[in-house]
Amino acid sequence: MTMRITRRELVQRGAAGVTILSLPGLLAACGGSSGGGAGSGEVADVLRFSNWPLYIDFDEKTKQHPTLDQFTAKTGIKVDYFEDINSNAEYFGKIQRPLSQGQSIDRDIIVLTDNERFLGLMIDKGWVEELDKDLIPNFSNLIEAQASPPFDPDRKYSLPWQSGMTGIAWNEKETGPITSITQLFEDPKLKGRVTALNGMGDTPGLVMLDNGDDPSNVTDAAWNAAVDRIQKAVDSGQIRRFTGNDYAQPLSQGDLAAAIAWSGDIYQLLSSNPNLKWALPTKGGIIWTDNMIIPTGGSVPTASTYMNFVYDPKIAAQITAYVAYVPPVKGTKEILVKSDPKIGSSPLVFPSDEVLASTHQYDSAALNNQTYIEQWQKVLGA
Amino acid sequence: MRWVRRHLLPAYAFLAFCYLLLPIGVVILFSFNAPSGRFNYVWEGFTFDNWIHWDAPSGIQSAVMKSLEIGVISTIAATALGTLLALAIVRHRFRGRGATNMLIFLPMSTPEIVLGASLLTLFLNRQIVTGFGTIFIAHVMFIVSYVVVTVKARLIDFDRHLEEAAMDLGANEWVTFRKVTLPLLAPAILSAALLGFALSIDDFVITYFVSGPTQTFPLFVWGAARVAVPPQVNVVASAIFMVAVLVMVGNVLWGLRARRARESMPAAVPLPEALPRPEAA
Amino acid sequence: MTFLHRHKGLTPYLLLLPGIVWLTLFFVAPLGFLGYQSLQTGTFDTGYTFDWAFSNYWNAISDYHEQFVRSFVYAGIATIVALLVSYPLVYWIAFRAGRWKNVFLILIVAPLFVTYLVRTLAWLNILADQGPVVGFLRDIHVLGPDGRLLATSVAVVAGITYNFLPFMALPLYVSLEQIDGRLLEAAEDLYASKRQAFLRVTLPLSAPGIVAGTLLTFIPAAGDFINAQLLGTPRQYMVGNVIQSKFLDVLDYPAAAALSFILMALILAGLLVYARVVGTERLTG
Repeated sequence: MTMRITRRELVQRGAAGVTILSLPGLLAACGGSSGGGAGSGEVADVLRFSNWPLYIDFDEKTKQHPTLDQFTAKTGIKVDYFEDINSNAEYFGKIQRPLSQGQSIDRDIIVLTDNERFLGLMIDKGWVEELDKDLIPNFSNLIEAQASPPFDPDRKYSLPWQSGMTGIAWNEKETGPITSITQLFEDPKLKGRVTALNGMGDTPGLVMLDNGDDPSNVTDAAWNAAVDRIQKAVDSGQIRRFTGNDYAQPLSQGDLAAAIAWSGDIYQLLSSNPNLKWALPTKGGIIWTDNMIIPTGGSVPTASTYMNFVYDPKIAAQITAYVAYVPPVKGTKEILVKSDPKIGSSPLVFPSDEVLASTHQYDSAALNNQTYIEQWQKVLGA
Repeated sequence: MRWVRRHLLPAYAFLAFCYLLLPIGVVILFSFNAPSGRFNYVWEGFTFDNWIHWDAPSGIQSAVMKSLEIGVISTIAATALGTLLALAIVRHRFRGRGATNMLIFLPMSTPEIVLGASLLTLFLNRQIVTGFGTIFIAHVMFIVSYVVVTVKARLIDFDRHLEEAAMDLGANEWVTFRKVTLPLLAPAILSAALLGFALSIDDFVITYFVSGPTQTFPLFVWGAARVAVPPQVNVVASAIFMVAVLVMVGNVLWGLRARRARESMPAAVPLPEALPRPEAA
Repeated sequence: MTFLHRHKGLTPYLLLLPGIVWLTLFFVAPLGFLGYQSLQTGTFDTGYTFDWAFSNYWNAISDYHEQFVRSFVYAGIATIVALLVSYPLVYWIAFRAGRWKNVFLILIVAPLFVTYLVRTLAWLNILADQGPVVGFLRDIHVLGPDGRLLATSVAVVAGITYNFLPFMALPLYVSLEQIDGRLLEAAEDLYASKRQAFLRVTLPLSAPGIVAGTLLTFIPAAGDFINAQLLGTPRQYMVGNVIQSKFLDVLDYPAAAALSFILMALILAGLLVYARVVGTERLTG
């Protein structure tokens, strides 16, 4: 008999609880999220920072992010760190609705790539807050090359987080060095064991360079030629699929022989597979930069304080030592050459001027061209 | 030859179970793996580390908590709404019964992607911000139909004589409902709730469309799959799996005990068949 | 309570009210908006305007008919395979497993409790090019020396089949379990062989289960996009992938809405045909 009573009570209480519970949920949905952080003026207690995965220093043993802890120790501001950005498009898709209403997304800093249209779109639509340069004296440490990008010529809204290069990675056990797109797309030995990046600024950019065109100034002819070539490689089965970061596991595993890949990823993968190599194609590669921006409703003083913190070469060095992408902060190389010579002298992290000269930034106007966007989606198979 | 024939079916069943449970085995196994790099696909060594530090990857803890929260409240809401609907449909005649049946059946026959996409369209158009609340709304919406089907099945077989007997003994409708109907319906309601909870915890597609910046566990896995899935994902998945299996096995054992208890009880009251039954008016 | 006594007719409507309101607000209305959006034109940058753009539908079909066909083919194959795989298994449980029936049932349902994505990712592991399964298949020459399973239609269909197998198995079990064993005894008394007993008694009586299982498997399978995304290549992409990309990557809502509506319409059409053939009561039960 005891079982009966328990069950009945359960159901009774459950049924009673329903009305009480479903109402707030409904109201919450209609009400939308609450306002943003401390707003301009005061530095808040917490910095809400959304970033890409594996893009900040991480200590395997303590499971902490040392620079974030140092930031808290220095300023007293706690950091809520979210690694929830996996794709510019997906993340933008998630945040665009509240931002378009002028509502906060409960973040003070987010990181988007200049190689896709969303960064420029955020700034154009005014969904970002202006940086408080008074709180960022370290702004002077920004390297010259990043001083005036096309989407933010006065650097009013953004600061680079890390830069990276797009080139070709290969698994030495599966194939010899791959030095060109032609080889990647047409060598029969590689058939079906090659992937390309799904970024509109990455794969077409490399192909344009291979065709002899200039990706920083995309013309219809150049675009069509590049897309045709890529489509041929897809149709012939040469390209297995298009990927974001997910080329890393199959490449490591040996499912893939080669992939169009980002420089920093390979460096990080070397610990699990020393057979991985990366290089820019001889005809040139693409360089892109992930930028920190403050979305609408984010706390400008808190975010600016953090940005100043990471533009200290000592801190930048710690982050770069783990992430292995190209830092935008002057003085990082000098520190790393002494403290971590392997990284300090790595051409992946500190490319020589010669290498830098062969990299190109993708045309940001082309990123927003609706025709190109639709054509590219068709190539991607959707 | 006859030996083979006799054992063919069980052998097949065994193989089929192996097939069904192989991926689960792989998931559980690799939750104990100690990978040296980012990737968890090659067995490198046994460790309990992942289980102890299950919340090491950023965001996994809050994702799991969100999934559980949403699971609980949407299950409760959906179970209540669905039970009421089932009661209405089975026990009452009313106009629009057929249409109601259709309305309840339709969400189950609509692909999740359409459900998610249409909800997103609604939210976009009505300027509703997506997040926790919208996930709750979406989950209740698609769980309700399953609850109705489950409870309905039990209601249809329901022996109304017990309720009639109660009313003959002086109970009014509300008391009968509370003391006879609900307890007897409880197992079905509980099954429906369990089903609903499972659907909610596991839902990816619909949640993907309406979640906005909120992260549930399946969404976390999707994000992680883009880069490298940490073993802790396997840990959480295995844990949910084991809890679910335990609950279900427990439910079954409980049911067996209850049945044995009932069967061993002497019939203290003459069965309703023996009583003169009032013919339906 | 006296209020309800006097207004007895109200009871069903009161019971129905919360559920129906919820479904109307959050199922019917969204579909309405979806329809509305599907007739709009515009881009994300410039905004959308409603102008009866039926061309969206036409474009959706002409651009993506390949993905539509593919979705239905994959879902169909997956459903048939799921039926063939689960029927003997469920038969064994219903008729031969005795006291342990419920435990085995739990084993069938159990995989559903591991997150869908994690189950699919496990297949990435199992079917890896360097893994034991592919190695074995290469050894017995089912696959060529360079053959692979991942990033092919085989992997995608296999993934879909696996993921929806419990949805086929459960309804099958329910209907098989209800078959009165005495009917089979009677058949045998009337000189039916085991095979005849199965074909003429068991199979027809399990028809409701087959119908339910087929629906519960085919419908979600047709709209799936996860298996194609994780286990396949763009050449295996289904309608689900297109809808997802249009909604979340390209931000072309009208096209995405049109595609969703077409998918739904096709499935409903299929359902109606199926219902005709099979008998409506079994569907809505």
